[in-house]
Amino acid sequence: MKLLTHNLLSSHVRGVGPRGFPLRLQATEVRINPVEFNPDFVARMIPKVEWAALLEAADTVPKGPIEGYEHDEKFLRQMHHVLLEVDVLEGTLQCPESGRLFPISRGIPNMLLSDEETET
Amino acid sequence: MDHEAAQLEKQHVHDVYESTAPYFSDLQSKAWPRVRQFLQEQKPGSLIADIGCGTGKYLKVNSQVYTLGCDYCGPLVEIARSRGCEVMVCDNLQLPFRDQGLDAIISIGVIHHFSTKQRRIRAIKEMARVLVPGGQLMIYVWAMEQKNRHFEKQDVLVPWNRALCSRLFADSSQPGRKQPCAHSERSHPYHPPCSVCSCSVCFQEQCHSQRSHSLDYEPLMARMCCADISKGGEEENGFSNTLGKSFRSWFFSRSLDESTLRKQIERVRPLKNTDGWAHSTISIQPSPHASLDSGPQEPFSTREQNLDEDVFVEMSQKQLEWPRAPATMKHLCGDQQGEVRRNGDGNFLEGANTSENGMNAGDVEEGPPSAGRILRRISALDSTDSNPEETISVEDQQPNVLDSRAFMRYYHVFREGELYGLLKEHVAELHVLSSGNDHGNWCIIAEKKDNCD
Repeated sequence: MKLLTHNLLSSHVRGVGPRGFPLRLQATEVRINPVEFNPDFVARMIPKVEWAALLEAADTVPKGPIEGYEHDEKFLRQMHHVLLEVDVLEGTLQCPESGRLFPISRGIPNMLLSDEETET
Repeated sequence: MDHEAAQLEKQHVHDVYESTAPYFSDLQSKAWPRVRQFLQEQKPGSLIADIGCGTGKYLKVNSQVYTLGCDYCGPLVEIARSRGCEVMVCDNLQLPFRDQGLDAIISIGVIHHFSTKQRRIRAIKEMARVLVPGGQLMIYVWAMEQKNRHFEKQDVLVPWNRALCSRLFADSSQPGRKQPCAHSERSHPYHPPCSVCSCSVCFQEQCHSQRSHSLDYEPLMARMCCADISKGGEEENGFSNTLGKSFRSWFFSRSLDESTLRKQIERVRPLKNTDGWAHSTISIQPSPHASLDSGPQEPFSTREQNLDEDVFVEMSQKQLEWPRAPATMKHLCGDQQGEVRRNGDGNFLEGANTSENGMNAGDVEEGPPSAGRILRRISALDSTDSNPEETISVEDQQPNVLDSRAFMRYYHVFREGELYGLLKEHVAELHVLSSGNDHGNWCIIAEKKDNCD
């Protein structure tokens, strides 16, 4: 699971609503997956990122988009690495409101809930 | 009601996909060109989700966008992951996404697996919720109106055809896995090879005859048909490039099957309603196997039922260990049906445990030995001097290793206008941009309105 994916994920446990975001990430196994750097692609992603969630999930992230980031290759490469190359293979995602844990195994988050847990 | 719906879907959607996932191959999951086009038209840097991604055939169509694959079926998701896709396991009815985070969503052959109208609406509303305003949603569902087959009812159980087996390519010498060819699946009679690209699966001729609500679709498809196929070849290690001549001859040989079988297909046995369930039963669609009882010489490997999976996977005698007797499938499909009643508001479920009764695995152990003859063709891919005409008969010697009941998939096939009506009446947050028919699917593109939620 990439951190860009994590940035989109939210808990849908019943009653939690928007407080289900962001999920708290606990990674027990991480791999770095080289991905071809596409500065245009990364630049377009930046405005879509929920930065607070990203800061929670990743250690070495700039505090926010810097001015002129579209042309700042160093910044873009850093973001590229964090968003696209860090791959969480094993770990958990925790709902911040309910505490419910969603597992990540073999790089795949499992977001299924039981009937009792889901919103109606 | 909702619980029963979930139970039915568990048995006749989720469990089936889970059990049959190992048999899936890239070949049989066709990438519809119109869907590929939709994905390619998204702006670079878009965040896109394929809800119901299966093995991930659409996840790498556009390298300029970020595409997430989501599916309820773990094994299918694992396959997609093994191909390097970013995927997760989740439920269409409770998408684990924050509101308004995605630029586009595709839902290809998914909504028709929901067994009640309310659930279908919920699925669509969930996808609308996670779209940004202005974001687009593309939905494909099976149409009730088909050229080659006849759905008696809208709620049907369709047998799974075990000819869809990945073995054919397991022994291929290709290192790693190649992406499937971009050729779109056809649910219509075979068309002669396209004169433009000499691809026998090209549906260019078909394009012009497509019924469609929106005129956009016809010229669009005609135009992009062959172009996409050649482009698809470059982008995705085009299947036809990989296999070349033998591939084309394989497809050609498939056509011979189809033409001899057309009569067979049209004789699909109508289902009789048992007393007391006169108007509201699910139909079990007879599988091609069902018509094998009419004689020992019918070629086995035809498949006109499945719209999103390829018709043929042909296998050599060596490769094939064919454990299954069609007799039981025939017996199952032909003589019994799901005893499920449809009630007034379009939900076909009433009461619990209704779908179980129609298919009792215990009944299907016996079958006349003569009905067990399976015919299959020598794979053109295997033999250097392929002879498409040759058929082999195989004795039904082996026990039934598959519970036929478990592999009936539930579909709610849509009538013309039904999908459109569903969005118009129940999903106010979406505005329909276009709708039409694509190879036996009703399709819609809708846009999330501004100032919603």
